[in-house]
Amino acid sequence: MKRRDFLKFIGVGGAGAGLGFIFGRAQKPPGAKLIPYLIPPEDIIPGAASWYATLCTECGAGCGVLVKIMEERAKKIEGNPLHPVNKGGLCSRGQAALQALYNPDRIKGPLKRRGARGSADFVEVSWDEALDVLGQKLGELKKTGFAEKLWFLTAPLSGHRLKLLTTFMSAHSSPNLVQYELFQHRELAYANQTTMGIEEIPHYDIANTNYMLSFGADFSGTWLSPVNFSRGYGEMRQGRHRKNRGRLVQIEPRLSLTGANADEWVPVRPGSEAILALSIAYTMVERGYYRGGDASAWRSLLSSYRPSEAALATDISAEKIEELSKKFAGSKPALAIAGDGALSYTSGVSCAAAVNILNHLAGSIGVKGGMLINSGGLLGKERIDFKKGIGSLLDAANSSKVDALILYNTNPLYTTPKAANAKESLNKIPFIVSLSGFIDETTAMADLVLPAHHPLEDWGDGFASPSVGYPVTTVMQPMVSPVNNTRGFGDIFLALASKMGGGVKERLKSDSFEDYLKSGWKELYNRNRGLSAGTLGFEDFWKKMLANGGWWREAEPKRQAAVSLKGAKQMLPSRPAVFEGNEKEYPFYLVLYPHHGFGDGRHANLPWMQELPDPMTSVTWGSCLEVNPKTASGLGIKEGDFVEVESPFGSITLQAYLYPGIRPDMVAVAIGQGHTHFGRYAKDRGVNPIDILPYKEDPRTGSVALNSTRVKLVHMGTGEKLAKTEGVTRELGRNIVQTITSEEFKKMGKEVI
Amino acid sequence: MDGIFKRILERLRAYRVPGYYEKFDHKWTMVVDLDRCNGCEACVTACYAENNIPVVGKEQINNSRQMSWIRIERYVDGEYPNVKVKFIPIMCQHCSKAPCETACPVYATYHNQDGLNVQVYNRCVGTFTCATYCPYDVRRFNWFTYKWDKPLDEQLTPDVTVREMGVMEKCTFCIQRIRAAKDRAKDEERTLKDGDVIPACAQSCPTGALSFGDLQDPNSMVSKLAKSPRRYRLLEELNTEPSVIYLKRIMDNGDESH
Repeated sequence: MKRRDFLKFIGVGGAGAGLGFIFGRAQKPPGAKLIPYLIPPEDIIPGAASWYATLCTECGAGCGVLVKIMEERAKKIEGNPLHPVNKGGLCSRGQAALQALYNPDRIKGPLKRRGARGSADFVEVSWDEALDVLGQKLGELKKTGFAEKLWFLTAPLSGHRLKLLTTFMSAHSSPNLVQYELFQHRELAYANQTTMGIEEIPHYDIANTNYMLSFGADFSGTWLSPVNFSRGYGEMRQGRHRKNRGRLVQIEPRLSLTGANADEWVPVRPGSEAILALSIAYTMVERGYYRGGDASAWRSLLSSYRPSEAALATDISAEKIEELSKKFAGSKPALAIAGDGALSYTSGVSCAAAVNILNHLAGSIGVKGGMLINSGGLLGKERIDFKKGIGSLLDAANSSKVDALILYNTNPLYTTPKAANAKESLNKIPFIVSLSGFIDETTAMADLVLPAHHPLEDWGDGFASPSVGYPVTTVMQPMVSPVNNTRGFGDIFLALASKMGGGVKERLKSDSFEDYLKSGWKELYNRNRGLSAGTLGFEDFWKKMLANGGWWREAEPKRQAAVSLKGAKQMLPSRPAVFEGNEKEYPFYLVLYPHHGFGDGRHANLPWMQELPDPMTSVTWGSCLEVNPKTASGLGIKEGDFVEVESPFGSITLQAYLYPGIRPDMVAVAIGQGHTHFGRYAKDRGVNPIDILPYKEDPRTGSVALNSTRVKLVHMGTGEKLAKTEGVTRELGRNIVQTITSEEFKKMGKEVI
Repeated sequence: MDGIFKRILERLRAYRVPGYYEKFDHKWTMVVDLDRCNGCEACVTACYAENNIPVVGKEQINNSRQMSWIRIERYVDGEYPNVKVKFIPIMCQHCSKAPCETACPVYATYHNQDGLNVQVYNRCVGTFTCATYCPYDVRRFNWFTYKWDKPLDEQLTPDVTVREMGVMEKCTFCIQRIRAAKDRAKDEERTLKDGDVIPACAQSCPTGALSFGDLQDPNSMVSKLAKSPRRYRLLEELNTEPSVIYLKRIMDNGDESH
């Protein structure tokens, strides 16, 4: 290039750049889109993190969390050290909420169905249009007098989100609000109500107990409030305030994570947990460990559960039952608990009741180290409506009593067996709306999708359940500005109320859910001056509450309860748990359990959870069938081989994992994988064992038993390598995990701390 | 000129010779109470979130290329029904006489004044030697430059480097938290005190099995716990002098169980 050309080129280019600049300025005034970082948004210091408190909603436990925010992005979730439920700890699932917030498969904005139902073929629409369609539909229902044909199916909610929803539904004069999830612990609530007359699930004071009988409760992993209970477990073992080390006996047919930590494993026959518990109770009365005035009444009530007979039903020797009974009665305080494993049979309610009887006889109700009775939250009782389970919705849909269904955070197509025909039932509903953030199996059926905020973007509050002996309220506040074009759960209803008319808006009395929440709390504050001991004005109280993460006041739980003979009598099992399929054709029990990382399947779309090795099998990114090595060798099954598991209701095929911690007469599969929708990380990965279950709702509780069928195994040939992280599971004398016996430990005396 | 050269050589030798330092500023130590640990893996997820650890997917798991800096190992003894299961969290042991440090040809891994075994990503050329020398299998190699599907990358912490292909990485005892705590202490014109530094794993642990602190501070929690008669260190016979102290689990064998 010549020098002259170069100068020309520069000149033209320069003039062009200048023109562009001028046009650019003419089009948009400076500062309209671009704000220099010299005037940073509030709270933003590049490189410095701020921490905000909120509520964890990944399961129902209600832990308090702190979220690390840097440059308006959520970076990490940690337990709130002040919060009485989790005291700073947080489980894997709670921490992985970030990956739901920033998930690439989140719904970007409101959607309308274009293709066939279930095809997940949607087009994007605006919020206005979507709300118009829904508001019109609901207004029509109300006008034509079919308001009760609106059904609402939601995951259990609490606090002001529930209050808003209840008000909305009652203003619309529809009684059909169903709170449903797979592990809702309805059996526990029902048994407590019948035997003790309390609705709340008690606080299990694991930290202070000396001897614990756990009937299938995987409290370290997934049951009720795992972080709180794990904390209790740590204290029970090596708490600095304790004189001695507590013992844990795990009674379950498949060794769970909690069972792996127990001092003793009692591999009871599946479905006979209730009988074993009652037999231990009988022995306590018979041997005179229970000295109440009504001992003889208890003895006659429990007389059909003598250890010699129970031994036949449970596969546990009479001597063992005597021994458990002696130790349970002799180590005060002792605690018995019944978890998902034992509650998921058709006789689950009886097991929960039997465990209450055990605690009653051992004098462990309402005492430190036993069951501490919770009282209701600040907003009054939040009870489970036993009449309203998933079955009530499906029945209504089948008899064309549902004209519109709104879904929130729940996925019944995944969590109900194929035998329930939920898909056909839902297909009969003319109009389905989903508020889900992801296209899951049920949302794929929706006609309209109004994606609600992720809880990390939304307002709300919640009461811990089970609480810790005194009420604990946690406030949920937005951590980050919305990632997608979504709206707050409460705000959707407030917007809807003004669209549909009919006096719904007047009942809700707020323009935004933030106002609704704040005024709700103002009301609570005015009514109950004890909240701040009268020293703070409401604004200061509110600010303090947002800073701390919620409201609670530590108190000694004083509420007492007792198991009544009459209540107990109603709940004794009339027969052992039912398993479909005869023993000859289907030789193995099938036991399902919630996956450690996915719970009831709701976290299968999080890559961290997919990659987290299962604590007992170390399998990642898929499902496996747990088989006892002896059973497997009898059938010629090796690890990784494909096995068809067939029940009278269907079959699934998956890879085998040889697991020594399982009875030879059963197999187990984790719930959580096998999604047909739900994003790139979950879709078409593993199998969903719920598919092959029978469908029979317990009329008392409205829940469906998970462990209720027998299966047969068909070896389908050698498979590929199982994606797992473990190598050799035997220590081979390397002395990696060193142990001492409890005798040696006692000799060590009091340790330094 | 010669003198400078000699001094540089001396410094390099300092990194190279285990136990060269006479005096450490700190002796960061982790105590793991195996009797409290229930194997719930909350620490594993906490570490993924804190340290920008990539998810590798099923195929790479099959090639044993998972990147977790802390893992829960599980050992099974006995046959049904006398099965005993034991858990142990294993992370970089930050050995005082670390075999990996003597192995690295480019001094990418060395011992710093805090008693930490540190990895300099910029120096690492990926010879894999350190991972071969490590008896605890805690070093993780980036076989690929892993990608985060957008917008999952918004979660990445700017406090920690995102590593690329060909670089070795491992647990750092959350060195970014140690640095931050030191800065804070300096701003407040005080020395570090016990509890100032809590790594992500110890922070999240629901059972309180993990404790972290300075072993040189006689009043720190770890100093007290380290005196426990239950103490042992992993593969102690190799004489690597790890900075992680385990407390033995209490477990009865045989007759007590079913």
